[in-house]
Amino acid sequence: MIGMPLISIDNACVAYGSASRPVLSDVDLQIEEGEFVCLLGQTGCGKSTLLRLVLGSEQPLRGRILVEGREHRQPDRTRGYVPQKYSLFPDRTVLENITFGGEVSEFSIFGQLMPRYYRRRRELREEALSYLRRIGLRESDAEKYPDQLSGGMQQRVAIAQALMAKPRILLMDEAFSALDPSTRKDMQQLIRKLWCETSITVLFVTHNTHEALSLGTRIVVLAKESIDQGSRVMLDVSVPQPCQDEEIPQLMLRLESVSRTRAITDEDPRTDCSSAVPELA
Amino acid sequence: MAARFHLINARPSRTTTVVLSWVLFAAGIGLYLYTAAARQRENPEDRVTPTIGQMVRGMSGAATSGAADDDAPTQPASLVQRFSTSMLWKDTIATGRRFFCSLALLFPAVLLGLHMGLFPHVGAFFLRFVLFFDKIIALSLLPILFIAFGIDELSKIMLIVIGVTPTIILDTFNLARAVPGEQVVKAFTLGASDFDVAYRVVLKQIWPRVLNSIRLNLKAVMLFLFAGEMIASTDGLAYRIALLRRHMGMDVIIPYVLWVALLLFLADLTMRAVNRKLHPWFRES
Repeated sequence: MIGMPLISIDNACVAYGSASRPVLSDVDLQIEEGEFVCLLGQTGCGKSTLLRLVLGSEQPLRGRILVEGREHRQPDRTRGYVPQKYSLFPDRTVLENITFGGEVSEFSIFGQLMPRYYRRRRELREEALSYLRRIGLRESDAEKYPDQLSGGMQQRVAIAQALMAKPRILLMDEAFSALDPSTRKDMQQLIRKLWCETSITVLFVTHNTHEALSLGTRIVVLAKESIDQGSRVMLDVSVPQPCQDEEIPQLMLRLESVSRTRAITDEDPRTDCSSAVPELA
Repeated sequence: MAARFHLINARPSRTTTVVLSWVLFAAGIGLYLYTAAARQRENPEDRVTPTIGQMVRGMSGAATSGAADDDAPTQPASLVQRFSTSMLWKDTIATGRRFFCSLALLFPAVLLGLHMGLFPHVGAFFLRFVLFFDKIIALSLLPILFIAFGIDELSKIMLIVIGVTPTIILDTFNLARAVPGEQVVKAFTLGASDFDVAYRVVLKQIWPRVLNSIRLNLKAVMLFLFAGEMIASTDGLAYRIALLRRHMGMDVIIPYVLWVALLLFLADLTMRAVNRKLHPWFRES
């Protein structure tokens, strides 16, 4: 497996309903271990679909998705997942949510009746409490239910829940989109810190250029060339680490111009948008 | 121009709410008492609208002595002993036994609905059939059930099962389908198996709503149970009501009806309290 990318997407095509209106067309993307890749694009361009392909909850019409050199047809513990909503189980407390992965992977339903289960559960709870502290929550929050937490706190717990299963890849689907700007900034700092500490590979879906620039080591822009074609990778840039302030406006312009160009041409094919299209860098 | 006040935005005080909620009860009781008194004045032998005194006497007789067809206790007994051999107690036990047997049989229906909602092959296999079955009027099957299962307990329980299970299956099916797909995917990424997802994620999450659905169907369960008991039974609350109807025994029928309503009310209250206690995270919407 030496020299092989951790995630390899080759000519992936996805279509819902009619194959003549694909969502993704011939997407090629390789992601190395330890990268923080932000998938950027307009709403509806197929970012989440691409993420679900990597997750294994969706299969491509054509093409191949390899994770750790293997095709995965189901989601499993190698890939953690943090969606935008419904990321926590409402019937479990914060601590139970975080320990869920450990419990289900080690004990079946009947295994919960064994004395060993209670010993192991205590250990898992200790570990979960350490995660709780790392994500900036208090121990008094441990016994709260998700609906007693704010949106930002819920997403913090969802990240801890995913990380506790120790996946090699963390897939985040617009995970911070529903948060207010200040909480969003805190969450960005948190995920960046956790990424530095764990060197986990992250694939982060967002439609926010700022967010992509402040988080990613690499940004991949998905866009459509025309309305009847599926999205493909239109731009794939590495973000200098650390990113200098003077580089940001130039990168922003470059990233936004790619996705905006496609959005204008998609809206109405009759529109003469030549004057509105910015020059690509 | 003054802003128009919308009644829809009114916020009645607690006292007003309590008073309003009892008005219809008071009106109903008042109307009954007036009618009963008027009919008794016209005909002291009237049995259609017994007075409160007649009903108390009828009910205390039912609660302290056996039915006419029972063996009467030979020796004077305590009140508790008399109640435990009384017509009311025996009828309540007989109906209660059938009622709880039927409730227990709803559990497999919940499991079937859960599997139909989660496993597409199971859903494809059962859904159309259950939908069809749901449209059959259970009471129209009554003669067939009596022919097929005889007039014993089985036919009455089958009537309840046939009448209520399709609703419970479809309710559970819809509840299982309504669990966000993200949670199922998330559970898989945390190492859960299919059965972990079914029993440790979905069933646990929908359980309070399933209990709610069963609670709301308690009346339907009793309806089918009463239909069965009235037609073919030798004991039970509905059997007694049907029997007393022949003798115009309204002084016992009305208290029996109120007793059944009270039992159902208590069952409803208990299920609500248990649901709240067992699932503190659950908010009824």
